Parts: sequence; structure tokens; C-alpha cells
Amino acid sequence: MKFKLNMGAGVFTGLLVILAIGAMGNDDFKLEIPKGLKKLKIPRDNRLTLEKIQLGKQLYFDKRLSKDQTISCASCHDPNKGWSNGETFATGIDGQKGGRNSPTIINSGYQVFQFWDGRALHLEGQALGPIQNPIEMGLSLDELEKRLNGIEGYVLQFKNVFGNKPNSGDVAKAIAAFERTVLSGNSPYDQYKDGDTKALSEAAERGRRVFFNKAQCSACHAGSNFTDGAFHNIGIGFDGSSPDLGRFVETQVEGDKGSFKTPTLREIARSGPYMHDGSFKTLEAIVDYYNKGGNANPQLDEEIFELNLTDQQKKDLIVFLKEGLSSANYPTVDPPALPK
Amino acid sequence: MQKLTCLFSLFTFMIVGSWVAANEVVSETVVSGLNNPCGVAIQPKTGHVFVANSGAGTICRIENGKAVPVITDFPIDVYGKGPKYNIGPLGLAFYGDGHLVVGGGGYKDGEELLRLYEVPAVGSSIKADAMVSSMKLAPTEEIKGEGNFYAVAVAGDSVFVSCNGDDTKGWVSKATIKDGKFSGYARNIATKEAVEVDAPVGLTIDPKNGHIVVGQMGEITVPGDGLLTFYSAGNGEMLANFETGLSDITSVAYDTKSYQMYALDFNWIDTKAGGLYHLTKATVDGEPGVECTKVMALDKATAMVIASDGHAYVTVIGTAEGDQLGGKLLKIKLPEIE
Repeated sequence: MKFKLNMGAGVFTGLLVILAIGAMGNDDFKLEIPKGLKKLKIPRDNRLTLEKIQLGKQLYFDKRLSKDQTISCASCHDPNKGWSNGETFATGIDGQKGGRNSPTIINSGYQVFQFWDGRALHLEGQALGPIQNPIEMGLSLDELEKRLNGIEGYVLQFKNVFGNKPNSGDVAKAIAAFERTVLSGNSPYDQYKDGDTKALSEAAERGRRVFFNKAQCSACHAGSNFTDGAFHNIGIGFDGSSPDLGRFVETQVEGDKGSFKTPTLREIARSGPYMHDGSFKTLEAIVDYYNKGGNANPQLDEEIFELNLTDQQKKDLIVFLKEGLSSANYPTVDPPALPK
Repeated sequence: MQKLTCLFSLFTFMIVGSWVAANEVVSETVVSGLNNPCGVAIQPKTGHVFVANSGAGTICRIENGKAVPVITDFPIDVYGKGPKYNIGPLGLAFYGDGHLVVGGGGYKDGEELLRLYEVPAVGSSIKADAMVSSMKLAPTEEIKGEGNFYAVAVAGDSVFVSCNGDDTKGWVSKATIKDGKFSGYARNIATKEAVEVDAPVGLTIDPKNGHIVVGQMGEITVPGDGLLTFYSAGNGEMLANFETGLSDITSVAYDTKSYQMYALDFNWIDTKAGGLYHLTKATVDGEPGVECTKVMALDKATAMVIASDGHAYVTVIGTAEGDQLGGKLLKIKLPEIE
């Protein structure tokens, strides 16, 4: 085994730990689901194991998965920025800007459709997209595999976890496994729903009522993950000349023009800016947008109409979003040591 | 205790394992050239079949293989953003033999009407406004008004209606009939709060124990999210909820002779894959669940009623051919269950 001495004992010890755990067998990892969230379905061909999750975490944070070794998944989906990146559009290799806002990956394991336009299915179907995208990480799958096979630490781990040499399919599985562990629940709203009537402040409780009634938020932001996982045209961009047509590009169905996937609202206070184009910097601006009834267009969802919220209702709604859906157990993760 | 009773009776009717042979399914077209038919009901004593010829704004009685308009001039609205469908009257159900309940789809939410008609005699027709009674579910300060009363089910003097106006709650509403008129109409079961999935559409009453059975359509842009849910008719409590794997349930119905359940899947994303399904008990991931066995492929199936002789009358929007509208009323002989 070769290790760079200037990394200290950390990597060496970590690798020994990984190998030791591997020697004990890749047992199924028991994922703890926070209060308020449903049981997470795990694909049969990608069971969770601790070793796989750890491998996936390394890959997620590893900039060597980009062409110029400057960008990792974590660059655009940063744990410290709501697992998004805090900017309108993220920056890929060569300083290139993306065309859509980075969605949070919090609770993304619950989503069947991935990306704003749903062009990938499940996390496994999504993971390799940004790696190959020329404006994101810009690395071909052949080059990805070549690089990983040149890193002994990865070779050992892939063999231990998958019984294979590093390959793109298993890269996707490992990253997906890690992403499935990024969960947010047990928020004040969840505690309130569980019977703790003091879990929400008075303003948040008023906001909760507005959310589930007059503001119509739960028409789309429904269920335990505050998303129906479906596609809706809420009029974003239709005040301009060339709006992004979103889901329509994938389906070519007229009714999908301008439709984008409903994002989760969990940890919404941390994951701005908002919408597929990152055009809203604050929740206040969003609430005002919905209150006015969006931007008219032929495919505008029938759930979008003028709401006539009072100023107090708008304030309370925002308190609910910020306070009610932010968990004390926010899924914070430190970057791991990476194999050499 | 009620939940356990429900589960027992659910499994009782489902416990008969089913095997459906494709070559057993016999289907005939009763009427073609309909305009987005979205409702069908059988008059109890006469056996006459009535169809909501929704896009044409009429209710028709089938007479000698023809759809004869008997209630006309319903208002028409447009459903969908592409594809789009003209819709007018939707769900149908008989109250006794002489009255027909019609759920509307042609007005905007909050203005839509649930209507009660005296059935016109053969050879006569009336206008849509000639109902004996009607009710609406107007908006309140907090709740959106209701519309698209897609399915109607009658249980005694109660009428249950699947509503698709307020997408935050997914209401099944309940009307009562007294002295030949509606005496009340109110939001009753918030299905979306119960099951966290959109759009109650299919609706029927369990003939043995009176439970309300809802086929929850889910989102039309998400495949496979359809649910089958049982509620207490007494207090609206959810008794059981099952994932079906169907995409867009538009109707659920019982064959009262065999006590078997069937559902229609419109399958919005891939309408060629839609059809008629037989629903049976299954164990899914170690839990009680539902298995849906496809009986027959159908082109945009919208409503179903099963006659006492084991025939299912099914409306389909179909596909237009030339100038001929694609809507049909089909009569399907349901296969014998072994």
C-alpha cells in the first residue's frame, strides 16, 4: 500500500478501518429516518452498507471526478449551503455557469424524478449526469474510470464494496447510497404534528394554517417531504421572451411547457436562491409572487391564482417556512479524507 | 375495531385468487362517436344505461344502440393544458329508479353544481337547468371552491362525490337527499391529508359493508402513484390505504355478484398503456397490499359501472378517426374468476 506520509496517519487509519469493516462483511446499513419522514425505499440492486456510503461520500466530495479537478458534487451541492450552493447558477469547470439553479439534495432519495426537468430516474440515474456534463464537471466516463483505477484507495474500496474494479455504474450507486443518507426531518412542524403543540411559535402556527389552506402551498408542496414529486408550471420566466420550457423538453407534451419539478421545502431557509432559475433571493419575494398569481401563460397551473393574503398572513407563512421546516438535526457533513 | 373489520372484509372479497385469461375478455362497442364521455350509470329497474357525453354537454340514454340525449345544454369547460379535453357533465349515479345525480365539470371551481334530476321519460328530454335540486361548494375565507365533480356514488340518502377543485385537501364531499331534494352538501373527507397523494377521482361504495372506496388518481405527471383507499362512511376515518402501481385511476367498481373489484387506469403519460384492471389481495414487501391484473387495454378509459349480469359498461375517450369522434361506450364481459 502506498500512502503519502504528509497526510498523516488519518488516511492510513481510515483505510484500515474501512478494510476492517469490510472484513466483517458488507451488512445492510440501518438508516435512521427522522421523525416526520416516511420509510425510504432502497433499490434492491443498491442496498445500503456503511462501506458503500463511505465510498459514496468520498466520491461526492472528490474534485478528481472533474476534468480539471476543481469541481466535485459538493461544489454545487454544499452541505453548508442547504446542499445547494447559494448562488443563482453554479460554476463548473473553466468557470462556466450552469443554466439552472442547483437543487438541494436533501431528501432527494424520496424523489423518483431527478433534476428540475425530471430527465433522470432515481439517484442512480442522476449521479453521472453532472460528471459528464461539459459545463459542470466535464469528465467522460472512460476518463472517470481510468482515474479511479489509478487511485489505490478507490481500487481497494470498490473491490470490497462491489467486488469490481472502479466503474461508472458503481460510482453512481455509491454516490446514490451516500445521498440517501442526507435526510432532514424532526423539524418543529414534525414535532407539532406528533402532538407537541408548543413546538411551533404562535406566528409559525398561524403560518401553518395559511400554508395548508389559503395560500394553497400544499396543493403541490404536499406530503411528508413537502413535494408531490410532480411537475408544475407556476409561470416562472414567462414574463420574459424565452422562458425555459423545463419538462416539455423531455416529454414534448404541450401541457408540460414551463413545468418544473416541485422541490422539497424542508430546510428552505438554507437553500436559496429559489426556483429553477434562482431568480428569487428571498422567501418574501416568493410569497409575493404567488400572492399575485404568478405569470400568466397558456400552461399555467390551475393551482396558481391571486391569493389575496394579508400582510400578516404573508409574514406568518414565512415564519412557518423558516422556523417550522428547519430541523435542529440539519444533516451536516464534514468532507471526508480522500483516498490516494 | 372498524379498521380491523374493514381489513377483514377487504381481504374477504379479495381473498379469491384470480387468474384472468386474455382470451376470456369479450368486449363490444355499444355506441361510438361520443364526445369525451366521462360518466356511466345503469337505471336500477329498467336496466337502461345512461352516459355523460361530457364534451357535448349532454346526458344520453342508450336506446337501441344509439346515444339519445335526454338532458342537454350543460356548460362546458376545458380540462388539461395539452392535451386538452372539453368536459361538461361528469359523474352519474341513480338515486332510486327515478332520479339521476350528476356531477358537473363545466363551471369554474366554486360555481360547479351537483345536480339532481327526475329522469326524463323515453322520448323526451330536458335542459340541464331543469334539475329539481342543485348544490355547490363555494369558497370560504380559507378554502378554495370546489369543482370537477368527477364521480358520484349513492348510499341510501347520502351522495358521495369526488371533487377536484381544492388540491390542498382532495375532498370527497357528501350530500344528503330529503323529500326528493338535496338537503345539504358539505366537504366530508380530506383525502389528500389522509394519503398525501392528489386527486380523489374513482369512487364507489363497498356493497357489503358500505365503506367508501376511493381510487386516488395522483399526479398526472407521475406514473404509478395511484392509491386505493377505504374510508368509513360514518365518520370519514381512513380504514386502509394501498399503493396500486396504477398511474391515473379514473374509476373503481364492484361486480356485486362476485364481489370482485375493478379499476380503470387512464395512464395520462402513456395512454396506450391504460386499461381495465382486476384488483386482488396481495402481500407486498411483507405487508397487505393490492395486486392489479390487467384485464384489457383501453384508450383513455374514464368511467365504469358493472351490471348485475357481470358486464362492465366502460366509457373511453378513445382516439378520433377522421371526422368521427373517438369516444365510445363499451360493454365488457368480465372474466369468470377461478
